[in-house]
Amino acid sequence: MGATLEIRFHGRGGQGAVVASELLAQAAFLDGKMPQSFPFFGVERRGAPVTAYTRIDDHPIGIRTSITTPDIVVVLESSLLRTQPVTDGLREDGLLLVNTRNPAEELMIPVPVRRAVVDANQIAVAHGLGSPTMPIVNTAVLGALVGASGVVSLKALDQAIDEFVPARRAENRAAAEDGYHAVHVVEANTPFTPPVPQAVGPTLSLPEGPVATLSSELIHTSAWRTLRPVIHLEKCTRCNFCWKFCPDDAFTFDEKGYPVVRAEYCKGCGICAVECPPRVIEMVEEA
Amino acid sequence: MTLKVMSGNYAQSYAACLARVQVISAYPITPQTSIVEKLADLVASGELPAQFVKVESEHSAMQVCVSASALGARTYTATSSQGLLLMHELLHWAAGMRAPVVMGVVNRSVAPPWSLGADHADTMSQRDTGWIQFYAESNQEVLDTVLQAYRLAEDPAIRLPAMVSEDAFYLSHTLEPVEVPDQSLVDSFLPARDARAVLVPGVAARLGSFTGPQQYVEFRREVAKAMERVPEALRQIEKDYQSLTGRFHGGPVEYYRAGDAEAVLVTMGTMTTTARTVVDEMRAEGHRVGLAKLRLFRPFPATEIRELARRTDRIGVVDRSFTFGAAGAAATEVAAALYSGPHHPVLSNFIVGIGGREVTPNHIHAMFDRLLAGKGPEVQWMDLPLPPEEVAHG
Repeated sequence: MGATLEIRFHGRGGQGAVVASELLAQAAFLDGKMPQSFPFFGVERRGAPVTAYTRIDDHPIGIRTSITTPDIVVVLESSLLRTQPVTDGLREDGLLLVNTRNPAEELMIPVPVRRAVVDANQIAVAHGLGSPTMPIVNTAVLGALVGASGVVSLKALDQAIDEFVPARRAENRAAAEDGYHAVHVVEANTPFTPPVPQAVGPTLSLPEGPVATLSSELIHTSAWRTLRPVIHLEKCTRCNFCWKFCPDDAFTFDEKGYPVVRAEYCKGCGICAVECPPRVIEMVEEA
Repeated sequence: MTLKVMSGNYAQSYAACLARVQVISAYPITPQTSIVEKLADLVASGELPAQFVKVESEHSAMQVCVSASALGARTYTATSSQGLLLMHELLHWAAGMRAPVVMGVVNRSVAPPWSLGADHADTMSQRDTGWIQFYAESNQEVLDTVLQAYRLAEDPAIRLPAMVSEDAFYLSHTLEPVEVPDQSLVDSFLPARDARAVLVPGVAARLGSFTGPQQYVEFRREVAKAMERVPEALRQIEKDYQSLTGRFHGGPVEYYRAGDAEAVLVTMGTMTTTARTVVDEMRAEGHRVGLAKLRLFRPFPATEIRELARRTDRIGVVDRSFTFGAAGAAATEVAAALYSGPHHPVLSNFIVGIGGREVTPNHIHAMFDRLLAGKGPEVQWMDLPLPPEEVAHG
């Protein structure tokens, strides 16, 4: 694609990844460029992994596909590094930006590209964007993206936020400004083998009939989780309310009748913690 | 004229607003889109002085549009996939009652299995209802086509409903720059609807009531004749639109570097953009390839396809859906159009992009390579695990 700059966002439903890709497109347009942005997601649900794409060029974009060899990958939540192939196809001279409180040197990624980190959760919370457990980090991350890459001007980003963010504009503009200054970049420093772009097409074996022959037990949906329940068993009354109210089937019981969390199915919704009569379930942040 | 970055969905909404629609009816739940959400905002804010009628199903939404249209209102609705399928009965009513409703459709796959990617199965299932069908390639074309669709649908010699389709995600959720014409310009292109030929409160008249075989045939024939007038009317409407805006989308079929092409792909919707880039690349390598984009699918532009066959020996038809027990819908139509014509090029049908599967430059390359190599299988499903599966026609 030559001169087209390609940026791929990875986030979770509710964090604002789609809006981030759109704001970046609007900012690029304000800078006089011809942008294109669009998301890919399944049925809407908070916490589910979401991918969004932005292309920026001086000329109208001549392709309508997702981005498989991005120049820049932006990850709105660091746990996605473990569960999603976020660095697939990332160019050798590309940039990886991650929202994390950990140092850039400690990012667990398979590619030694230029990388940048920003603690966008802390910035978002400081400006009252979202909640401490589900901060809306998109504008802080966009500020960091501009700081690390200069892909659009900070002025254009600021103007795009002011024009197109539906609520809390002043706070979002301040978050972008903070992200711009807080981003920390480390250069690519080790030899690099370009990763093979992810093949387009099915990787699952195809069904032979209309009936799924595999149990849905095999589908582990815990990738959505940002919080996990911890049960303080010493105060548990074994009333089974946690099991009863769990919208999935994420509870089982030990031989004495105490609840056990089946972590592979728990999405961290926290309903059990709310419904527990003696309030002995605590929702803690995933590391 | 203002250049704005907007989604295909909002291009639909703003076009309906610029067309000064008077009645919008929609079922506001899945699979509804942000098209009517934006229109509801525009009505609520007073920017669009229209009546927004929320109903309990897409079936009812179309009923409201048909009824309002029968009383002379300019009407709009939008839907997608299962919602369009539920509307099916009323689509026949709209055409048979000669109600010039314009509808935005986000082309999505049909369940089961549940999915929501780009796929033309939803609108292809409605091709026999008497609706004019447009397929758009860009958000700009969406906006322009909705405005043109009103002129066409309300033409006294036509009076048929029209749907303007856009691929899910690749247009519906894609933001890109769109030139929005000024209201005064749209007003001069699209005057208020001529209400003379509709029901008038207080005057006894009937529309769509029982008819025996003595007259039913004549009613159906009138619809068929109206359809036949569409291509010529569209050409004139596009001329007018071009003189006002400078933009031209090609009439019923838009050709791209097809004049001297040895091999031409017949495309629809967003795959065309990617295919243009591939054509440019292959041309630079010395391959004479080109495109013919079906902008209009109903009525089917048979004349243009016969003209294309005069100039090229190899035609590949790319379908983003499959008609079970036959072939891709566009391929079937192309074959039918060519049978009675004098030129019979090699014809291949490529099934690709179903259910939102991506149509990549590699796919387009592979189709051209196949065409240039000579006669291939009649129908080929692309992008399945190797070896490529070939399906007999019929």
